[in-house]
Amino acid sequence: MSKFAIGIVAIVITIVVYFLAVKLHRKLDYPFTVPVLTSTVLIIILLLSFRIPYETYMVGGGWIEKLLGPAVVALAYPLYQQRETLKKLTAPILIGTSCGAIVGVSSGLLLAKWAGFEETIIYSLTPKSVTTPVAMAVTESLGGTTPLAAVFVMIAGIGGVLMSSAVFQLFRIKHPIGRGVGMGGASHAIGTASAMESSQLEGSVSTIAMIVSAVAVSLITPLLVSLYM
Amino acid sequence: MFKVIQIIIQIGLLSLFYLVGDWMQSVFNLVVPGSVIGMLLLFLFLSTGILKTSWIEAGTTLIINNLAFFFIPVTVGVLEYYDIFAGKGILLVAITLGSTILVMTCGGLISQWLVVRGELKNE
Repeated sequence: MSKFAIGIVAIVITIVVYFLAVKLHRKLDYPFTVPVLTSTVLIIILLLSFRIPYETYMVGGGWIEKLLGPAVVALAYPLYQQRETLKKLTAPILIGTSCGAIVGVSSGLLLAKWAGFEETIIYSLTPKSVTTPVAMAVTESLGGTTPLAAVFVMIAGIGGVLMSSAVFQLFRIKHPIGRGVGMGGASHAIGTASAMESSQLEGSVSTIAMIVSAVAVSLITPLLVSLYM
Repeated sequence: MFKVIQIIIQIGLLSLFYLVGDWMQSVFNLVVPGSVIGMLLLFLFLSTGILKTSWIEAGTTLIINNLAFFFIPVTVGVLEYYDIFAGKGILLVAITLGSTILVMTCGGLISQWLVVRGELKNE
């Protein structure tokens, strides 16, 4: 099969698997049925059972990956749509999210360093609280491993949603703005989807926090890395 | 068909912002990824009204609603690293979860405190 044909097949398979995963998520709406997790698992099973090397799959997968940059750019639009909420709540959202970002990157870096992990692993874990395409970009610039970065992002997203009600109760975070910043800042898109189910305000705040956190983490991570490492 | 062409052109426009962001990153030697710079540029263009939302709406909505699709190929790459989570690697999961709790608590409490303080002042 020519390279072009392999690429097309890989893309078609990814699209089909993705749509099945979206359908499944609509029927079974849990944090651990998010399409990115189920699609990834299914494609890995397919590749392993047909003994297809990852490289071969990436002939087509790489074309999809090329759209990651423009996909990050697209995040400007939801932020723009929430601009009224952002204007009204500039200080609480920006300050809360930025503090969260600093705490998240610092704790990730230091804990993984103390535990004695290699630098490539530490740099893959550090940007875990931001949306996957941005986490990948940050990890790449630090010299980490992008697929691993995506795994940590998923753990932070799914784990965060599962732990959120206990965390909010324990620390008495009751206000929808506080909860929105917590969800979007710690658990990005997966947290935001869950925040939207609670209330519109919490969802809007979470959307803003997720995007602000992406900017904050990409700004502060290189500085904190040079400080701690 | 018109819709498809419109979406392709709009995604082209987003790619242009990405390329400009990437270019700015390398020229000014910035630490922020080019894609994030491109996002900030687009937000600026939308806020100032230079770019109308209708010029990018269909393309961005399609991408945002299916954001996960674009990183699936990279996440599949984890199959080459599964051994990292064996043995001591399980600690990485604990660190990620612990750090996530810290972010959620810290961000949530600080913003809640600022909002409640602001509301009290206004009363």
